[in-house]
Amino acid sequence: MPQLSLHGVVKTYGQTRALDGAGLDLRGGEIHALMGENGAGKSTLIRILAGLELPDAGQITFDGAAVCLTSPAAAEGLGLRFLHQELQIVPALSVAENMHLAHPYPSFGFGLVDWRALHAVTLAALDRLGVTHIDPTATMADLGPGDQMLTRIAATLIDTQGPRPWAYVLDEPTAALTGPEAERLFTALHTLRAAGHAILYVSHRMDEVLALSDRVTVLRDGRHVSTLMRDQVSRNQIIQDMTGRDFATLYPPANGEVGGAPLLDVRGLQSGLLRDIDFTLHAGEVLGLAGLSGSGRNHLLRALMGAVPRQGQVLVKGHGFGQSPAAAWAAGLAYVPRERRAEGLMLHQPLADTVALPHIPALSTAGFVRRLWITRLVARLAQAVRLKAQNQAQVAAELSGGNQQKVLFARALAGPPVVLLLDEPTRGVDVGAKFDIYATIRGLTAQGVGVVMVSSDLPELIGLSDRIGILQGGRLTQIIPAEGLTEGALLALCYEKEVA
Amino acid sequence: MVRFLRHYGTLIGMAAIVLVFWALLPDTFMTARNWLNITQQVSMLTVVAVAMTVVMVVGDFDLSVGSMASLSGIVAAVLFTMGWPVPVAVGAALVVGLAGGLVNGVLVSVIGILPFVATLATLTMYSGAAFILSGGKTIFGRDIPQSFADFAKSGLPLGSLGDKPVVLPWLTLLALAITGAVFVVLELSTYGRRLYAIGGNAEAARLAGVRVTWLRLTAYGFTGVGAAVAGLMYASRVASANPTQGEGLMLNAIAAVFLGMTVTRHGQPRVLASVLGVLVLGVMDNGLTQLQVDSYVREVLVGLIILLAVSISALGRKAIGRW
Repeated sequence: MPQLSLHGVVKTYGQTRALDGAGLDLRGGEIHALMGENGAGKSTLIRILAGLELPDAGQITFDGAAVCLTSPAAAEGLGLRFLHQELQIVPALSVAENMHLAHPYPSFGFGLVDWRALHAVTLAALDRLGVTHIDPTATMADLGPGDQMLTRIAATLIDTQGPRPWAYVLDEPTAALTGPEAERLFTALHTLRAAGHAILYVSHRMDEVLALSDRVTVLRDGRHVSTLMRDQVSRNQIIQDMTGRDFATLYPPANGEVGGAPLLDVRGLQSGLLRDIDFTLHAGEVLGLAGLSGSGRNHLLRALMGAVPRQGQVLVKGHGFGQSPAAAWAAGLAYVPRERRAEGLMLHQPLADTVALPHIPALSTAGFVRRLWITRLVARLAQAVRLKAQNQAQVAAELSGGNQQKVLFARALAGPPVVLLLDEPTRGVDVGAKFDIYATIRGLTAQGVGVVMVSSDLPELIGLSDRIGILQGGRLTQIIPAEGLTEGALLALCYEKEVA
Repeated sequence: MVRFLRHYGTLIGMAAIVLVFWALLPDTFMTARNWLNITQQVSMLTVVAVAMTVVMVVGDFDLSVGSMASLSGIVAAVLFTMGWPVPVAVGAALVVGLAGGLVNGVLVSVIGILPFVATLATLTMYSGAAFILSGGKTIFGRDIPQSFADFAKSGLPLGSLGDKPVVLPWLTLLALAITGAVFVVLELSTYGRRLYAIGGNAEAARLAGVRVTWLRLTAYGFTGVGAAVAGLMYASRVASANPTQGEGLMLNAIAAVFLGMTVTRHGQPRVLASVLGVLVLGVMDNGLTQLQVDSYVREVLVGLIILLAVSISALGRKAIGRW
């Protein structure tokens, strides 16, 4: 069986070392799972495999011979195929046409499509994957995400002149799939494996990984930690390999005394898949929210902000408020959204405008903006969050990710807030800016501000939170003290329900 | 160099155009009288372009301004024929403009139709309404009150040059006043800052507590009123109203805003920049007319100027993106 190996791969972006001795090997006829925390380097390794990034150092060999993955075409030439979470599909075209986006259509000549042959070729390709329930003439948009993914895989099995597929890389393929859809995908993956293909399966879902894979490779901090066969692998072993570092020193110490007046009271909140959410946040407290993606963590913050409809009671300092972001800001909630570019920043406008926006009522008299007040406020806040920008008129698009995030923190601080809602506050932020952000959060809680924080970065969540709430499938199953909690224990709690 | 051209290309182009006309028309172009004339000629376009700027700040646009200008002129003229007093008829025409603008706003902001589709539909509706009301005919002569027609013919006396008096036309002053008012609203008021925020990132603005739906709707209201004012100005100027009088205003207004966006720092629509765009178009028109260039050739030239300015801006942005 052919084998593709990566060994000792190093990749540095600016100051950050994304990969520092990472590696894995893919063998035909085997499903290989790649695991690691956010930031462990999984995505970078995949980008290198795809020919999108060049490694700074390391060897890549195919059947023992050194190869260079210098471009996506080179990766395709080796038979590598990539399926991303967001599938590249044309929703308005049929399944058959979507499957032929990268292949020539069967034709009568003169550019006339031979529809009958097109559908026959499509059926044959689907059949090779063991998929019989998809109609080639169906419109792609009418298919569920699972079936769409199956058609994308089947499309690679259409006979063409080009290099034949040999290995498939699937990045979190089941994130958007229902249980039965995922089952169908697994069946298809077993079919591919039986045909001698290699599969690299990237997922956070422990149960899937344990059920599906023949071997598991774990990365941590850009390094290869372990590669274990299925019979050597246990849930605890994987969690230990994924975590297991001393992170106590990374986080500023908690303020100690927590349990002041209740700031935020949530009773029986329902929104989307969220059901019966109850919790109380006290002054000076950081409540972390943990859960797998799809557990409703991010949705909960959006529901509190009134960005999505909600039912149930939400009180800030004992008072209710209307269901709109405007009412939420006015009630003293401040929000740092997850997608800072899409949901937070006016990228091409002066950063001071973004900071001032939710606070315009307080920064104006008789309908006119008080420029001087804004300038003073932004100057003060920029210092508080250690924002590095040329001046207040600089546009956010020109700032680094960390400084963009600080602009949003400055905005959240301006109120000043009663309760701060943070969604992945340090995502895509460099280490230096992370420290500044942690210091800012601690400074706020010292002043009695309450914080609700969602983070996929478990060490961060444990290091900053006083209590941690576990969300599973839209329910807040438990709230536990963060002190003494290990990363492995927290991860196990997030997975708990899946086991039961 | 590219960066420089991107920011100042349109300004340099404007200066070059002025110099060329000055050289070719040494006696008539660079005179106070001609410039006052230009300001009067472009006053209607200025009002429409400034009103268009309001919706474009939000990231939308309004194709129906031209037919709204036609409709408002017709509404006023029809009411004149029915013997309504001038202020009431003018007020009614403005109310029609506001209502038409708000209809656009509801379609785009509340119902969620793309601005292009929604305002294309209302463009034909408002135009059709103007034809129905007027019976397809131009309304003129005794039906138009003298006081209404006189407005466009007079102005603020500035003194005299030789034996002829020089006046600053009321139309010019009105356009200036409206420009000033919209400038204050967009640049200084809380309303305007929120509109810019929506244009910058509507979802982020919503999450920051901006009432996006309502503000987009009202922006269309402003634009509708602006279009109606321009229609009334035109009707006053020609002492008549005709159901096609607003044709051409929409394309020129959008062109003017785009020309203006080439000079602003981050390519945003801004009021004073839009006025610069209007002046470029107005000066071109004035100079080429005086040179007796065929009007069809004129249209080709104006189109070329717009493409040139916007191309330099787009290329400049690409180059900056690469650095």
